Amino acid sequence: MSSITFLCSKTSSNNNNNNNINDVSSTKGKAIAASSVFPTAALLTTTTTTTATLQQQQQQQARLGQLHGNLKKLNATAKTNGHTHIDDRSDVTEPLYVDPFVELSSTGGGAGSELNCCPASPTTVPAKSSLESPMRRSGRRQRTTSIGNQTTTANPSECIIRSNNRTIYTAGRPPWYNCAGQQVEPFVIGICGGSASGKTTVAEKIIESLDVPWVTLLSMDCFYKILNEKQHEQAIINEYNFDHPDAFDIDLLIDVLTKLKEGRKVEVPVYNFVTHGRESQTKTMYGANVIIFEGILTFHSPEVLKLLDMKIFVDTDPDIRLARRLKRDISQRGRDLKGVLKQYLNMVKPSYANYIAPTMAHADIIVPRGGENKVAIALIVQHVHTQLQLRGFKLRETLANSYKDQPMPDSLHLLHPTPQIKGLHTFIRCKNTSRDEFIFYSKRLIRLVIEYALSLFPFKTTCVETPQGVLYEGKRMESRKICGVSILRAGETMEQAVCDVCKDIRIGKILIQTNLKTGEPELYYLRLPKDIKDYKVILMDATVATGAAAMMAIRVLLDHDVPEENIILASLLMAEIGVHSIAYAFPKVKIVTSALDPEINSKFYVIPGIGNFGDRYFGTEPSDEY
Amino acid sequence: MCTGGSPSSNGSQTGDSNESEQQQQPAETQQQQQEQTLRTAVEASTPEQILAEYGENLKILTLNSQVSELLTIIRDKNTSRSDFKFYADRLIRLVIEESLNQLPYTDCDVETPTGAIYEGLKYRSGNCGVSIIRSGEAMEQGLRDCCRSIRIGKILVESDANTHEARVVYARFPDDIGSRQVLLMYPIMSTGNTVLQAVNVLREHGVPEKCIILSNLFCTPVAARTVVNAFPKMKILTSELHPVAPNHFGQKYFGTD
Repeated sequence: MSSITFLCSKTSSNNNNNNNINDVSSTKGKAIAASSVFPTAALLTTTTTTTATLQQQQQQQARLGQLHGNLKKLNATAKTNGHTHIDDRSDVTEPLYVDPFVELSSTGGGAGSELNCCPASPTTVPAKSSLESPMRRSGRRQRTTSIGNQTTTANPSECIIRSNNRTIYTAGRPPWYNCAGQQVEPFVIGICGGSASGKTTVAEKIIESLDVPWVTLLSMDCFYKILNEKQHEQAIINEYNFDHPDAFDIDLLIDVLTKLKEGRKVEVPVYNFVTHGRESQTKTMYGANVIIFEGILTFHSPEVLKLLDMKIFVDTDPDIRLARRLKRDISQRGRDLKGVLKQYLNMVKPSYANYIAPTMAHADIIVPRGGENKVAIALIVQHVHTQLQLRGFKLRETLANSYKDQPMPDSLHLLHPTPQIKGLHTFIRCKNTSRDEFIFYSKRLIRLVIEYALSLFPFKTTCVETPQGVLYEGKRMESRKICGVSILRAGETMEQAVCDVCKDIRIGKILIQTNLKTGEPELYYLRLPKDIKDYKVILMDATVATGAAAMMAIRVLLDHDVPEENIILASLLMAEIGVHSIAYAFPKVKIVTSALDPEINSKFYVIPGIGNFGDRYFGTEPSDEY
Repeated sequence: MCTGGSPSSNGSQTGDSNESEQQQQPAETQQQQQEQTLRTAVEASTPEQILAEYGENLKILTLNSQVSELLTIIRDKNTSRSDFKFYADRLIRLVIEESLNQLPYTDCDVETPTGAIYEGLKYRSGNCGVSIIRSGEAMEQGLRDCCRSIRIGKILVESDANTHEARVVYARFPDDIGSRQVLLMYPIMSTGNTVLQAVNVLREHGVPEKCIILSNLFCTPVAARTVVNAFPKMKILTSELHPVAPNHFGQKYFGTD
């Protein structure tokens, strides 16, 4: 039987007090607690709960009900408000198998050894496909989490839209910044609880149920301090206290968490439980829409507490925790029974009483029995969804409707409109141009754009000796460190030209697709050269209409610490609106294009434009697009 | 992209004998100081000065930093051959693109896939390229990259080692060359004699002077003046006007140095 305990944090409104009493073990009590959770959860961090969100909650709940109603008719309790409630369904759901080793070895820590593994190693979980088997463990790079769809509210088929010959996966990352290019904060969930209480399981269940791409899981285990020799010896004889707040590098933790919350790229240390030191490699994590931070002392530092948007305490019976800990430490971390027990009694247990249990007061929600508690997790997920919706916005439409009738910004560098360029545009814009000619002439134009873009990088004057015996005063580029980043798919067409003008250039790729339902750009894939922050970047996209995709790409580069002034956005054709938006959001980014068109239409195509450049270049145009 | 412009003045024809003497013996170390001043003088020329001196038909590729770098790498004697060819090809491509820009065109409106009308333009077909063997052939690939099926004629001009007199020994053109626009390709002009001979041959085949566009990478002021005086109606496009021409270009490009 499930039950939920609510602990009202001091900032919460008095409304919550009603719920605190619902620590009942009867069926009825459970139902009451559960049904009253939805409004409460929303109230915890928002000041207003709109009718709309309530309706959404109801709908979502109703869908949950439909999914499981048949199985659970006996247990489901219809409330006066018509909500159908779902019970703890551990009897019908298969236990999710999450293999920490797959994640660790695949996410590139290089710490392949089982003993080194912290089960909650940082994992960035971007776009996921619900169609994948939870048992999938073969992928070289783990880019998706293993997610069962037992509790997901979205039907897997909704993640894919098929129209004509296109297949669009809508699991990409929606914009995480506003139309001025500034970051919108991700939602940070803190999970606290005693050792082996099931924090990681809860975190994974939340990720799995959340069905939101780009969730980052950060474990406090990564922030253990490096032990000196004496401490190392203590650790071997189980006398070093790993459960004390002093064992953690709180400053580093705050730094990493703050950066993550700002959406920046961070290097998370990888802790080795055998050497009690940090691995030389670090794990790169990238800002996400949702960040889950879990650890035994998550709530200990007041600074960290401030960063958390939602605080969950996992409260598991001490006996169960001890049993789990014995199992884990002996089987996974290579310790003996005696040592583990000694550590538990001398350090883990007192620490729990002294440092962990008191922090329960900070929690917004207390989850008994950890990951098995389906109801609690469903409620948490519900709340997070509401929060994400409140933070989201329609980026593309905002962009399209602003900045009309303003002079073009200084950061725009338009190729000199020679007859030659106009002639090339005539070829590629004509709808009757064959693909062969389209490719040929667009390549010529791209070459000119890239050559021009290169001239905008800083140069220095040098003097060289010539075979004729005279000195020649010329120019060389200040830095040879240039890399190209293409925005897939149309930007890819410009890669060849960049390779043709820069020897051995590195090419990064960013896949951004428009979500056909919302019309918003979404980030799907990202692969950039290491140390991209040291490079000058030519960002390539064939056409820029509203600039939404380009802005997302620029935002990605900025998040990777590339200075704004080192970015050049090169494109064949831009709409004035797009130029304005980008120049407004990122005034130091140089914008290079061969032509500027005045308008975009309701489908966000440039007018008169080229049509869908990628489709025409790659020959994938649907027959009835226009 | 091009300096030069309004048809206002004819080229002034003041020949500077001092300048041409220095051109003949560039390797003298004592003269280096003088050369440097001279070079600066030419580089500092504004588009207006060039226009006034050589007329509107001599055009110089807009000297942005990127083009400067290409010129620098090509001139640097420490540049490896593979780099040399790579950067020379890039420069050639830019010059060829710019030469094509000089071709006549007509307005042409097309419908785009979005259904809107784009007011574009169209180049006349019936152009051809003529390269002067051997260094001119280095530019053929650049032309091919821009115009896939263009016809290319060839001229072999030999210059006498003693008298420096140029003599045409071989020429092969498309039959109807007289009715075409001709892109004459020759990368290095130090005296201009070779080009004079080549243009004469083209004229003998019925190509009007105004239908010839000379694509050139490096040009000396002497050569520019010579050619402009001889054929005022011919269009000349170059990337640099400099008293010292990189005469090693052909050898280094083809690897026969």
